[in-house]
Amino acid sequence: MKTRTVVTIGMIAGALLFLGFLLSSQRGNRDSAAPMIVTGSKMFAESLILGELAAIAARESGYEAIHNGSLGGTAIVFRALEEGEIDIYADYTGTLIYETLANEGVSDFGSMRSALAVRGIGVTEPLGFNNSYGVAMLGSRAEELGVRTISDFAKLDRPTISLTPESADRADVWPGIRETYGLPIEEPTILAHELSYRAVVQGEVDAMNVYTTDAKIAAFDFRVLEDDRKHFREYQAIYLYRLDLAERAPGVIEELNSYAGFISNDLMIEHNSLVEIDARAPAFTAEQLDASIRGRDVRVIDELTMTQVLWKRTQEHLWLTVVSMALATIIALPAGVLAAKRPSMGLVVLGIAGVIFTIPSLALLAFFIRPLGLGSPPAIAALTVYALLPMIRSTQVGLASVDRRLIESAEALGMGSTRRLFLIEIPIASRSIIAGIKTATVITIGFAALGAFIGAGGLGEPILTGLRQNRFDLLYAGAGCAAALALAAHGLFDLLERLLIPRGLRA
Amino acid sequence: MLELQNIHKCYGKTEVLRGVSITVERGATVALIGPSGCGKSTAIRIAVGLANADNGNVIFDGESMGRKRDQWQSLRRRVGYVIQEGGLFPHMTARGNVTVMARELRWSHAKITDRLDELAALTHFPADALDRYPSELSGGQRQRVALMRALMLDPDVLLLDEPLGALDPMIRYELQDELKSIFAALGKAVLMVTHDLAEAAFFSDRIVLMREGMIEQSGSFEHLRDKPTTDFVSRFVTAQRGHERNGSGES
Repeated sequence: MKTRTVVTIGMIAGALLFLGFLLSSQRGNRDSAAPMIVTGSKMFAESLILGELAAIAARESGYEAIHNGSLGGTAIVFRALEEGEIDIYADYTGTLIYETLANEGVSDFGSMRSALAVRGIGVTEPLGFNNSYGVAMLGSRAEELGVRTISDFAKLDRPTISLTPESADRADVWPGIRETYGLPIEEPTILAHELSYRAVVQGEVDAMNVYTTDAKIAAFDFRVLEDDRKHFREYQAIYLYRLDLAERAPGVIEELNSYAGFISNDLMIEHNSLVEIDARAPAFTAEQLDASIRGRDVRVIDELTMTQVLWKRTQEHLWLTVVSMALATIIALPAGVLAAKRPSMGLVVLGIAGVIFTIPSLALLAFFIRPLGLGSPPAIAALTVYALLPMIRSTQVGLASVDRRLIESAEALGMGSTRRLFLIEIPIASRSIIAGIKTATVITIGFAALGAFIGAGGLGEPILTGLRQNRFDLLYAGAGCAAALALAAHGLFDLLERLLIPRGLRA
Repeated sequence: MLELQNIHKCYGKTEVLRGVSITVERGATVALIGPSGCGKSTAIRIAVGLANADNGNVIFDGESMGRKRDQWQSLRRRVGYVIQEGGLFPHMTARGNVTVMARELRWSHAKITDRLDELAALTHFPADALDRYPSELSGGQRQRVALMRALMLDPDVLLLDEPLGALDPMIRYELQDELKSIFAALGKAVLMVTHDLAEAAFFSDRIVLMREGMIEQSGSFEHLRDKPTTDFVSRFVTAQRGHERNGSGES
């Protein structure tokens, strides 16, 4: 009975781990039918479709393939390819020549191919469409102001522009267009692409950067301003793949090349619009695209219903949370004890945990991509270290506030310090310790939504997809599930407190 | 049985004890008394090893205690220690508090139960209250639990630091009687800290009166009353007895 609290705190951690393994074995089963080919994509519809299309190509050549979608911006996805996290993804010549390989004296397709080959990356022939950057305004407003070209736009009285975070960092977009056209804009507004459209439609900004195959241009009745000084370069779509695919999966590269030249701008816009406007799944859309290129019938693809999607994402979310909370508990409890027992060590331990806690959560996620790759491992690592501070602190505070006289009473009974810790101090501190785990869990459930940015799945996925496809039902459902999960965790811990904290401490 | 020899103790620059020697024989009850800050609590804490003496010896059953943890740990199992308000573990029931060390020492269940029954009878603790938590017990009951806990392992020495200090006068009076008969029945060496002369006189054959870290005078109550060696002793006795005449019983 006296050891009840210790045992039960241990049991929480144990149960969390068990649940984690249970969930992970489920995932493990899925993984054990291991796909040989992993395709990737950046975080926008076209890239997702092409990522799915590459997976179809790999399957056509007789391999298992999965698409690890929406990994992030160019830098993240390119590095994922370099490091073998993924085998194939679609990119654009302009992006590679002027951005990714900008410092390597690359100027044309040929030199780009050699520079990539050095990194173990191969490139297909151009797929056929040019998804360049452009500047677009609301059609009616452009009409009203008489703006036809980017030069016209630059002459407006205090024009404003909204850029995607990625393009704002690309020398060829910004400050490139500002310099070419002498745009009198100091600070562009930085917004996610989907939000930029809203901002322009609502008149909050005059113009935005668009991609020339963007389905929303037509849907929102935008006018793409003429690039009268020919600033924007060609952005021919191509597939990048790991050169070792030639040995690992013969035939896949040929299959990818069979798309070359067959995907026109119109075909791409049409399929982008399927995803962005009609809210079809990228997998379904890629199947349609593949069928139309090959001139075959469309196979039935089971698109998950929204409930199925949410259930799957909720499981992933739970898995991320449960595993990282179990790990954090295992680390934080001893660290908290150390911090309470050795105040000088405590300063160091709490200092480190405190610094980690101040790192913006997204940056922390990104930090773990390098050592751990993409997917759930870096997300779990980030969630774990993020949860340490509240847990260590509550353990330390709980232990430090145990009445000195009780510790002396135990000592005077002849109880050794280790036994005293487990029999007296930890049980008395249990309320504080459990409160810390509760706080950390609720924080973690919120934070885990960011896992979607690095391909870890979870409820951030429907939120991002909802944002991308303008599907607020999906967005709200994802957010609602995350909130419900947090509330449920809160309730569960309230119940645990009632069960775990001895009656004598509650009175 | 227990002997403090020429104990010195400083906290920072303050000398709390300046050469204190006390001997408690088996079967004897010695009361340590004196005004607040005279060092009486520090002396008893040193006797159980909760504080270390800067100088001097603690001799227990003929064995000089050093600074080794193991030595103290086994000593403590032969010493019962009771503090003001009991120092009971709030997350354990009365039973849990009393038996925790016996369970740690892997006593058999039967032996624990027998000993607990014996102690409950000795201290007049109601059996049905054994499964209550300290917060659910009265002050007097808590103090009985603390006493049972101290006596559980049948120690040779009982150290009590203001054991009745937190109780209201009625209960205190009642418990005084009981304690005295318990001490008489057990025949252990008892060292008790109190600030109340009447209580000291009631319990002890020998009273040690301390002042500013030194022993001012020791002996029976009558000895202190009738033959005070210093002005302080006579003032202390008069002041305390004055309180008694005023009927407060508290000081």
